[in-house]
Amino acid sequence: MTCSPFDLKDYFFEELNHAEREAVRAHVADCPQCSEELSRLRVTQAALATLADEEPPRRIAFVSDRVFEPRWWQRFWQSGPRLGFASAALLAMAILVHAFVHTAQPARPAIAAVAPAAADESRIGAEVARRLQPALDAAVAQSEARQAQRTAQLVEATRKEFDFERRADRLSYEETLSLMQKKFNVFYTASADLGVRQ
Amino acid sequence: MRPASLNKEPDSLIFREVEDRDLIAKARGGHVEPFNLLVSRWEKRVFNYLLKLVRDREDSLDLTQEVFLKAYQNLGKLEDPDRFGAWLYRIAHNEAFSLLRKRKPESDSEREPAGRTLSYRMYPAELNLTVETALARLTDEQREAVILKVYQGFKFEEMAEALGCPVSTVKSRLYTALDLLKQTLAPIQTRGVQ
Repeated sequence: MTCSPFDLKDYFFEELNHAEREAVRAHVADCPQCSEELSRLRVTQAALATLADEEPPRRIAFVSDRVFEPRWWQRFWQSGPRLGFASAALLAMAILVHAFVHTAQPARPAIAAVAPAAADESRIGAEVARRLQPALDAAVAQSEARQAQRTAQLVEATRKEFDFERRADRLSYEETLSLMQKKFNVFYTASADLGVRQ
Repeated sequence: MRPASLNKEPDSLIFREVEDRDLIAKARGGHVEPFNLLVSRWEKRVFNYLLKLVRDREDSLDLTQEVFLKAYQNLGKLEDPDRFGAWLYRIAHNEAFSLLRKRKPESDSEREPAGRTLSYRMYPAELNLTVETALARLTDEQREAVILKVYQGFKFEEMAEALGCPVSTVKSRLYTALDLLKQTLAPIQTRGVQ
């Protein structure tokens, strides 16, 4: 306990306003007890300050992992409610279109319509089969190529990360060893010093 | 002769330092690189706060990573970007004390033995060991108060915000710790370090 008008520690840590600081400064100039207490605080802080900050052994950084983010159609496919709503909307639209087409067309003789429709269907089916198969093959080949490229990129990224961690571990071991050697030297020097003094 | 339009200084350009609030705004938009810049500004301070508090290098590094991951995930909940520092230390404080609670609680007899109170001159490395021992003898809360005030230079209000307790509690912890440290460290004089 000191006789200072304000807490000496508040003064020491600069937590007083200007007037309070001036009052303590004037008091300390005339009070040996408070002056000594203040110098003890300064020595304590100086001793604490010898424990310097260290650099982090590894730097921290985040990456945006877009490779693993689902695409819009994957998110849509995985979402049950959205998929259900879309199916219902599609069905309703199909019914509406069907109703509209059938009411808008003039009535034709049934027999006359059947023959051309059957011919068109078979022709369209053949055309679709002819065009669809190569397109499907090309799409599958492109997809497989993309997949292979993505896998190669992932493997390469994993290998780099492993190498980086291994280097960091080695540095950490070397630092620890160096620290232990320094501590050993300190103890050795202290014991030698003690021996000389005795 | 330069055209008049080139001689005129552009009024719309204002050059200023990129502040944390700018980086936070960009990071909130889903950009990772501004957040990485934010990490590089704060990681050394947070790492050293945790290192002096939990006293284990590997644990401190793991906790530092965890702190920044949680900060990124919860950046949207930060109400005032100007208070990012105190908010970040609040996360670090919670992470550190979560780890300290998991560790086996030390009884008084299991704490670090009292360091020698030396009056003769010490080598700086020897002084480091004495300071580490003196800090280790404090309670976790007292040590944290010393770290934030002495090593990190926080004001009392900032400490109270980061720790989630009143200023009076913060001051009480710090001053009790300082009295204990003074008993060990005040008589020391070092060779080369005054």
